[in-house]
Amino acid sequence: MSYLKAESIGQALTLLKESAPESRLIAGGTDLFLQEFPERLIDIGSIEELKWIEEKEGFLEVGAGVTHTIAGGSDLISDKATALAEACLQVGSPQVRNIGTLGGNVMNAAPAADAAVALVALGAVAVLMDKDKNIRRVNVDQLYAGYNCSAVDCSSELLLKFMIESCKSGEGSAFVRFAARRALALPMVNAAVRVKIKNGIISEIYLVAAPVKPAPTRLLKTEELLLGKSACEETWLKAEKSAAGEAEVRGSLLRCSADYRKHLVGILVSRAIQVAALRAIGGKEEG
Amino acid sequence: MPIITENITREKKTETDFQSPEVWTKVTGKAVYGNDFKLPGMLYGKILRSPHPHARIKKINLGSVEAMPGVYASLTGAELPERPYGIVFDDELPLAAELVRYIGDEVAAVAAVDNETASKAVEAINVDYEMLPAVFSPREALKPDAPQLHEKFKDNLAWERNLLRGDSDKAFREADVIVENTFTIPSVHSTYLEPTVCVAADDPYNGLIIHTAVQSPDAVRVIIAKALELPLSKVRIVGPVMGGGFGGRVYGNLKLYMIASLLAIKTGRPVKMQLTREEEFLVGRPMIAAEMHLKMGFKNDGTILAREADIVTDNGAYSAQAPWVSKTLSERNDSVYHIPNIKTRVRLAYTNKVPTGQYRAYGNQAANFATESLLDMGAVKLGIDPLKLRLKNCVKTGDTTVHGLKIKSCALAECLKAAAEEIGWYDRKKGYGYGISAAIHASGSLVFDKNFRGAAALARLELDGRISIFSGEQDYGQGAHATFTLIASRVLGISPEMITVYSRDTLSSPHSIGALGNRQTTIGGKAVQMAAKRLRELIVLTAADMLEDPVVMEKGTLRSASDRIVELPLVAYHYHSLTCGLSLIGEGRYVPEPSEYDETGYGNIAVTYSFAAHGAVVEVDKTTGAITVHKIVAAHDSGKIINQISAIGQVFGGTTQGLGMSCYEGYLFNKGEVANASLADYRIPTSLDVPDITPIFIENEDPEGPYGAKGLGEIVQIPVLGAVANAVADAAGVRVTDLPITAEKVYQALSGWECE
Ligand SMILES: Cc1cc2nc3c(=O)[nH]c(=O)nc-3n(C[C@H](O)[C@H](O)[C@H](O)COP(=O)(O)OP(=O)(O)OC[C@H]3O[C@@H](n4cnc5c(N)ncnc54)[C@H](O)[C@@H]3O)c2cc1C
Repeated sequence: MSYLKAESIGQALTLLKESAPESRLIAGGTDLFLQEFPERLIDIGSIEELKWIEEKEGFLEVGAGVTHTIAGGSDLISDKATALAEACLQVGSPQVRNIGTLGGNVMNAAPAADAAVALVALGAVAVLMDKDKNIRRVNVDQLYAGYNCSAVDCSSELLLKFMIESCKSGEGSAFVRFAARRALALPMVNAAVRVKIKNGIISEIYLVAAPVKPAPTRLLKTEELLLGKSACEETWLKAEKSAAGEAEVRGSLLRCSADYRKHLVGILVSRAIQVAALRAIGGKEEG
Repeated sequence: MPIITENITREKKTETDFQSPEVWTKVTGKAVYGNDFKLPGMLYGKILRSPHPHARIKKINLGSVEAMPGVYASLTGAELPERPYGIVFDDELPLAAELVRYIGDEVAAVAAVDNETASKAVEAINVDYEMLPAVFSPREALKPDAPQLHEKFKDNLAWERNLLRGDSDKAFREADVIVENTFTIPSVHSTYLEPTVCVAADDPYNGLIIHTAVQSPDAVRVIIAKALELPLSKVRIVGPVMGGGFGGRVYGNLKLYMIASLLAIKTGRPVKMQLTREEEFLVGRPMIAAEMHLKMGFKNDGTILAREADIVTDNGAYSAQAPWVSKTLSERNDSVYHIPNIKTRVRLAYTNKVPTGQYRAYGNQAANFATESLLDMGAVKLGIDPLKLRLKNCVKTGDTTVHGLKIKSCALAECLKAAAEEIGWYDRKKGYGYGISAAIHASGSLVFDKNFRGAAALARLELDGRISIFSGEQDYGQGAHATFTLIASRVLGISPEMITVYSRDTLSSPHSIGALGNRQTTIGGKAVQMAAKRLRELIVLTAADMLEDPVVMEKGTLRSASDRIVELPLVAYHYHSLTCGLSLIGEGRYVPEPSEYDETGYGNIAVTYSFAAHGAVVEVDKTTGAITVHKIVAAHDSGKIINQISAIGQVFGGTTQGLGMSCYEGYLFNKGEVANASLADYRIPTSLDVPDITPIFIENEDPEGPYGAKGLGEIVQIPVLGAVANAVADAAGVRVTDLPITAEKVYQALSGWECE
C-alpha cells in the first residue's frame, strides 16, 4: 500500500491523474478507516486551500477540508448558516469532530450524515474539480447514487468546497437530532430547516429529515403545505403531522422501529421549524 | 461532581484516602497489560468459530493449512480426548467435537507467526456442517418438542429450583392488595476496556504458565489442570495488570486459555491469543437474560405478606456460572424486606445463543429491577408513599431473614432516608420523576466452596524494613491492593508507603477462591489483617529476643522496657542471621463459621451483608419518551469505609454501569446471531449520559469485617435499576417492564402501542 500526502489542490489532482483507479482520497479517515483499504491513498488532510471559511458576495464558502470542530466553532457559520454549525457540533465525539471533515461527511454518502443533512436544508452547492481541473457545481442532494454510495468518483474528482447562500435578516435555520445516547450514536432521526419569514408568513422553506431516502432529501409536500402559512403553533402542528405522513422510513433492530421513526420525523421537523422561525424573526431562544 | 454530602458523612476523611502506586503506572502508560506482554519466539493463535447456531460437524477439512507459510500448528476437537469441563456443570469442550451449539462456538484453532497469518489460515479451514434446528427463546426451549442441545439435560433444563418458605398460597388468600407483572432483562456484557488476552507457555522445567489477568486465577488453574490432565503444580497463572473485570472475568475465558495452552504444548512455543472486541461480545460470557414473573401480596397497612416468582433464565449454549447467578437472582433480593411467605420457581434453559456468565452483582440487579418496580406498583395501589412502604418492611440489625441470612449490621433504613432526603423526596420539583430502591448483597460469600470459606495471606518483613503482603485476592482496578495496604498499615502502625501487596502469581500467593461474592475486603482483607497481626507478634518476639528485654512496637519502631530503640531492618537482619536466611513471615488465615444449610437451602450464606438505597431524579419528554437522568444518590452501608477515595470510585463506576443496564445496554439477537457485537452498537453510557452521582456512606461498624468494613463493589450496581425504573415511571406515568428502558419503549407505553 502506498500513502501519499498532497500539499495543494494541484498536487492532489496530479496524483489522482497519474494513478490507477484504485487510489482514493483520504481526509480525516474517520469513515474510510472502517472500509477496505485501497492500494493507494492520497491524503488531502493538510491542504490549506480546502480549509477556508469565508463570505463572498452573499455566499458562505466552506472548504471541504474544514473539520466539524472548526465548522461548529466558526462564528461566521453559526451566524450565516446556523444549522450547519449545530449539526457539526453533534457529530460523534470530540475526537471524531477534530479530524472528520465536511467533505468526507458528504462523500461518504450515509443517508443521515449530520452535516450533509444541514447542507441540503441550507441549499448548499458543492464545487468539484476533476483530474483535468474542470470545475462543476452540483446541489449537495444530487451527489448521492444510492444507500452509502456517492455519485462522485473519489478516484477522479476532488470536492473543493460548499457554497451556501448566507442567511439574511428574516431568515433562520436550525438542526436537531435524536439518538440513543448523547455522544457517539448515529441519529435515529435528524432534521434541518431553513426558513424565510415575511410579515409573520412563511415565504420560503427548505426542510430535510433523515434517514428517509438514500440522500438527505427535502420533504417537498410538507414544504408546500407550509408555504404561505403564518408562523404559529397551529402551523407547527401541521408540519409535524405532514412530515410524519410524508416520510417513508425503515425500521431497524439496532436503531428503532419504523413507526417510532416516523413519529420522530414529525416531532423533530416541527421542533427544527420552530427554532428556525424564531431565529428568522430575531426572537429570543430559550435555554 | 458532588462527592459527599457533608451533613451526612459529617467528617472528611482524607487520612483514609490512599492510592496504590500502581495507579501511577496506569495513568502514565507504564503498566504492563496482557496485550503488552510478549515472549521470545511467541506465536499468535486464532480461532475458527461456528457460523451456525446449531449444527453437526460432518467434516473439518484442514486442507493445506499447516503447510501455509508462517503457520505452526492447527488444532481441532477430533485430536482431543472428549473430556468435558465446566464451572458448575461439565458441559463444555475446549473445541467442539461433534456439535456446535451457537454462533461463535469454537471449532478449530491455528498458531502462526502473527495475527494476520493466523486469521488467514483459520479462514482457509473448510467445515462441512449438517444444520440442526435451533431454539433461541428459553421458554420455547423448555417445551418438550424443542430442539435439544445437550443429551444430559433433558428438555434443555440446565437447572431448576423450587423454593417454598411459609405458606404463600394462604398469604395471597389473606392479602388485601395483590400486584403482579412480568419483567425482562436482556443479556448484558461487563464491557471491560481490555478484551481478554493470554500468553500460554509450556516447557518441561516450568510446566504450563498462562500469563493472563483473571479475577480467580487459582480456580482457573484447577479447572485447566483437570481438563488438560496436567499436574496441578505444573500449571501456573501469572497476571499482568487487568484492564477491568467487573465480575465478567471471574474465570476469564477458559476456552481461550485452554486453546492457547494446547497450541503452546503442541508447538513448543509461547502462544498469544486475544479476543477481538467482536469476539468479546460473541463469546465473552455476558450475564444471563431473565424473564421474571412476580406477584406480591400486601395488607392494607403496607405489610408485605408474600411473594411468588416464576423465573426463566437464559443460559445460552453452555453453563459457566449461570446456575449460581440464577440462584442469586431468584432469592437474594427476598431478604431486603420481611417477606414471610415465598414461593419461587426458577428454571435455567439452554438455548442456541451466546453462553452466559456473570456481571458484577450476580443477577441481583435484575431482581432489584423487578421487585422494586413491583413494590412501587403496590405502593400506588395501596396509596402509600413508596419510601414509607420500604421503611415499614425493610430488614434491620439482628434479623434473620426468610432464607436464614443473619444480619449482623444493617443501616438500610438510614440509607433509604438519606437517599430520599438528598434527592428531595419530600420537596419535589414539578415535571421531574423521583424513584427509590433498596438492596442487600452478600459481603464475603461463603458458599462457593463450603469447605473453603475464607482466605489466607502472608505478611513478610523484608530486610530493608518494608512489608510484603502476599494474597491470592486480585486487584483488577477496584482497589483491593490499596485496601489491603491500609489494613496492614493500621495493624502494624507503619505508613502505607512501606507496604507492597503481591497477588498475581499463583506460585507465590496463597490459594484463593477469587474475586467474586464481594470477598475481597471482607474475607481477603480480614486474612491480611490476621497476617499483619501475626507478623507484628513475631516482630515483637524477635526484638525482645534480640534486646533480651520486653519490647513494644509503636509507629514501626520497637522500644524496650529499658528504653532502647530498634528499627525494623535490624529486627529483620537479626532473624535472618539467626535462621541463616529465613524471613519473618506472619501467616494469616480467616476461617469464617461454616454456613449451615438445610435441604431447602435455608441458612446463612455470607460473612455479613452490605445494604444500599439509591434515589434517582429524571425527566421524561412525553412527546418522544426521551429520558434524562439528572441525579442518582447512592447511599451505602458498607460498614466502616477503609479507603474513601476508592469507595467513591466504586460508587461512580458501579452506578454508571447500573445506569447502562437500566437505560442503554443489552444484547440484540437476530436468529441467534448477536446483532450488536461492537461498541458502536452495544451502547454503554458515554460520559455525557452520566448524571450527577452523590455517594453517601452510612458508616456503622460491622462486627465481622476488618476494621468494621463490608463489601461495596457489587452492591453499587444493584439499586440503580429499581431507582431509575421507578423514577421514569413516576415522571412518565407509565411503566416500562422490559430493560433497557429506552425512549422508544417509554413512548410506546405512553401512546398505548403494542410492542411486537
Ligand atoms: C466513532 C465515529 C462516530 C461518528 N459519528 C458520526 C455522527 O454522529 N454523525 C455523522 O454524520 N458522522 C459520524 N461519523 C462519520 C464520519 O466521522 C463523518 O462522516 C466525517 O465527516 C467523515 O469525514 P472524514 O474527513 O473523516 O472522511 P474520510 O473518511 O477521510 O473520507 C470519507 C470518504 O469521502 C471521500 N472524500 C473525503 N474528502 C474528499 C474530498 N475533498 N473530495 C472527494 N472525496 C473526498 C473519501 O475518499 C472517502 O470515500 C462517525 C465516525 C466515527 C468513526
